[in-house]
Amino acid sequence: MNKYALFLGCTTPVKVPQYELASRWVCEYFGIELIDFEEFTCCGINQLNLSIEAGLLMAAMNLALAEAKGLDILTLCAACTGALAEAIEKLKDETTRNSVNEKLRDVGLEYKGKTKVRHISRVLYEEIGTEKIKREIKKDLSALRVAPHYGCHYLRPKSAFENFEEPDNPRTLHGLISATGAQPVEYETLNLCCGGKVFPVSEDLSRALVQKKLDSLANKEVDAMVLQCQTCYLMYSDQQKEINKEYDNQYSLPVILYPQLLGFALGADPVKDLALNLHNISPEKILSKVI
Amino acid sequence: MNEVKKMVSTSELDSGFKSDVLAHTDARGLNACFSCGTCSAGCPIHEVFPDYSPKKLAKMVRLGMKKEVLSSPYIWYCATCRNCVEHCPQNVKFFDILNVLKNMAAKEGYAPAAWVEQTKHVGETGIVFAAEDNWIKKREVLFLRPLKAYAEKVRKIIEKTGITKIKPRVNSK
Repeated sequence: MNKYALFLGCTTPVKVPQYELASRWVCEYFGIELIDFEEFTCCGINQLNLSIEAGLLMAAMNLALAEAKGLDILTLCAACTGALAEAIEKLKDETTRNSVNEKLRDVGLEYKGKTKVRHISRVLYEEIGTEKIKREIKKDLSALRVAPHYGCHYLRPKSAFENFEEPDNPRTLHGLISATGAQPVEYETLNLCCGGKVFPVSEDLSRALVQKKLDSLANKEVDAMVLQCQTCYLMYSDQQKEINKEYDNQYSLPVILYPQLLGFALGADPVKDLALNLHNISPEKILSKVI
Repeated sequence: MNEVKKMVSTSELDSGFKSDVLAHTDARGLNACFSCGTCSAGCPIHEVFPDYSPKKLAKMVRLGMKKEVLSSPYIWYCATCRNCVEHCPQNVKFFDILNVLKNMAAKEGYAPAAWVEQTKHVGETGIVFAAEDNWIKKREVLFLRPLKAYAEKVRKIIEKTGITKIKPRVNSK
């Protein structure tokens, strides 16, 4: 099914709209139809901190909204993907589902357990496929060495993702990057969390995680990091800038979102279609390596 | 770090704490924990800040150290990466237990202001941020469709859970 309810989440549409722009462009290119839902809200992941019940209800409400239109959900944010997928797992239990539906009835909704959630990268990987992507590439990206970063909630818990990925040795984003012609670089801290979910409570802890990854990439001759979640993006981009204030500007790693890399390789306009000009650390230098 | 920590006094332990935690279905893995420490070994926060330790917290709950656990700022330091869940040989699901602990702590007045504020925004805009003119401008430049704040349904369903009544911890950010 190449038609999805587009779940933007909270952060992408207001803080990283370039991710939304590039994702829409790439989906249109491959004939993936995205339906906008004005009634979608936050997925509920952060509310789990204060009330597991409230967080689950929020996820269920969003799932029910898509289900009412007979659609599966396409996500951009790793955390929304994880929150919705874990809610689907929990709601397989009939007692839990009945109790949730009792509350959703107040707003005229019911979740029956049909709607699935798929991250955009998974849709590209499973439904379009790396072979088809390769055939469509217009530019030569072979000089580019990029570090993939998956995002924890895209991977774990793997039980919520039908074992789609192997969390300790993930490969799908590597495959998607290779399909564009760029080289995915192997590095030690591949699975290190960006710290985004602890940022609101402790900026210091979250920056310590960011810095650790940046340090491990320092001698890898990497042209850019390629991500698939806007929260990870904000951590490695905006917080890289903050860390630089304290550490004598020693970091200058461009950070881009996968649909921007793919769109660029497919011949999209870097500014109009992908907003590659909106980044803290300009990816201009790396793009000049592309033929 | 060299000072001797206060002894655990059995008279100060709350024998009902563990069963209160276990009463939540998300925390039922706690009894299976044999303190192997795989959770802490794979925890990215523990690596940069050793005082935060999932293994230690699980043990404290089982001992009944209610006040120490619920008032600890550390329980809010989880980065939610789920490494502890993925690698636990006993399928304890520490992440889920921690959420149960955080929910209990929130009810007792220890919630970080940041999470309380986000919840307030959800009730107003449907998302974790307050409405800002900046949103509109950023999107207009890219010719992206305008966003509408839509919170009517979500406000109605979360109000009944009591989440909107949670007050932030005093002196927290």
